[in-house]
Amino acid sequence: MIGYVAGDSPLHRAHPYTPLAWAGALLLVAFAVSTPAAIGSVVLAAVATAAVGRVVPSVMRPALLLALPTWGLLLVLHGVLGPDPRVALGPLSLSQPGLARALVLGGRITAILFAFLTVLATVSPPRLVEAMTARGVPFGRIYLLVSTLTLVPRMRSRAALILEAQQCRGLRLGGSPPARLRALGPLVLPLVLGALAEVDEQVLALDARGVTSGARRTPLAPPPDRAGERALRWVLGLLVVAAYAAKFAGHGL
Amino acid sequence: MTLRDLVLVRLGVAVNLVVGQIVAALLLPVYLDAVGTILIAALVGPRAAIVTGLTSQVLAAVLSGNFSWLPFGIIQVIIAVYAWVAARAGAFRSLYTAIPAGFLLGAIAGGTAAPIAYFVFGGATAGGVTAVTTVLRGIGVPLPVAVGVSSIGTDLLDKSIAFAMVALILRTLPSHLAARFPALAR
Repeated sequence: MIGYVAGDSPLHRAHPYTPLAWAGALLLVAFAVSTPAAIGSVVLAAVATAAVGRVVPSVMRPALLLALPTWGLLLVLHGVLGPDPRVALGPLSLSQPGLARALVLGGRITAILFAFLTVLATVSPPRLVEAMTARGVPFGRIYLLVSTLTLVPRMRSRAALILEAQQCRGLRLGGSPPARLRALGPLVLPLVLGALAEVDEQVLALDARGVTSGARRTPLAPPPDRAGERALRWVLGLLVVAAYAAKFAGHGL
Repeated sequence: MTLRDLVLVRLGVAVNLVVGQIVAALLLPVYLDAVGTILIAALVGPRAAIVTGLTSQVLAAVLSGNFSWLPFGIIQVIIAVYAWVAARAGAFRSLYTAIPAGFLLGAIAGGTAAPIAYFVFGGATAGGVTAVTTVLRGIGVPLPVAVGVSSIGTDLLDKSIAFAMVALILRTLPSHLAARFPALAR
């Protein structure tokens, strides 16, 4: 839905772990607070992050596309169908506690969406791989995250080819749900069996590249990790701990 | 984890993501986003299946941009462990054993997902499930019960179909391929 958007903002230049830590901290704080005012501040912080990364136009559309249906459902489930007392909002009579709950839940999801969509738009995947390699993250984990992202589009195009081939043989995709369910087998079975048949070939290819040697890999151009950024990540960690300590001590916002 | 397990995990993750999209294209009222996790549990074992499930959850969030669904990662862990136990017990030998085993997993997974859907999302999760929740609320069912019923109801169907699908894959696996998976319980 959204990919890396090239740019030269402070977030683009930062070590990839810093925007990730910021988004992670916003996610955790969003679950630590429980009043509409506090969650509103978290949403503002998330939108401000997108503004710092100069990606608000790129992030806004997918964030709204994902958040608006949830907002609509929350307002119906909690605002319209919530418990008394009720408050009049134009022609609508809405549940007061339900509305407050909908604002908190919807705000939480909106903040998380803005924070992580900003990370996707500002953290370059190759830079993230270099940063992970420099930190000594095992090859297996990097391979799983990065390589699978390249495998998914290939499997999607293979699925499209299988679909066309099966339709040529008379497969019908429409009709009742049981009829559509029956169409699933002729599509999924060749896709999975074909992929399983290629496993050994891929293992040999990786082995030939020395993946199993266990030696630490050297990144070509690791992103610089400045002392200020490392300190910021520690501060974020402490803020999250403080937010949860306050919540569990009964002083949460 | 061996290199071979790693390649299989990658395959399982891709299956989870792509089958989910095929199902959405067929407009079926299920997700089938754990077929890869169940398949890897039967072919390799629980550890690789757990990695498959958790990686799928993270990559689904990356691909869709919707990171708010990450808490449902715990369901993938439950599916991985249950599918491994079911495979060891021979549940994938036929559709007659696979479908009831999937049905039971649906009850467990739905029962675990319901509190997450209620407390974290206030009952507003995926479109179809939330539509059922809204209808139930509209006829006066309390919200926690409405969320539980819609969540478990959807999962019963989803996991039964997923188990049936994996049983079919294992049954149609050519013998030269099946021989490469010593842990395979057919």
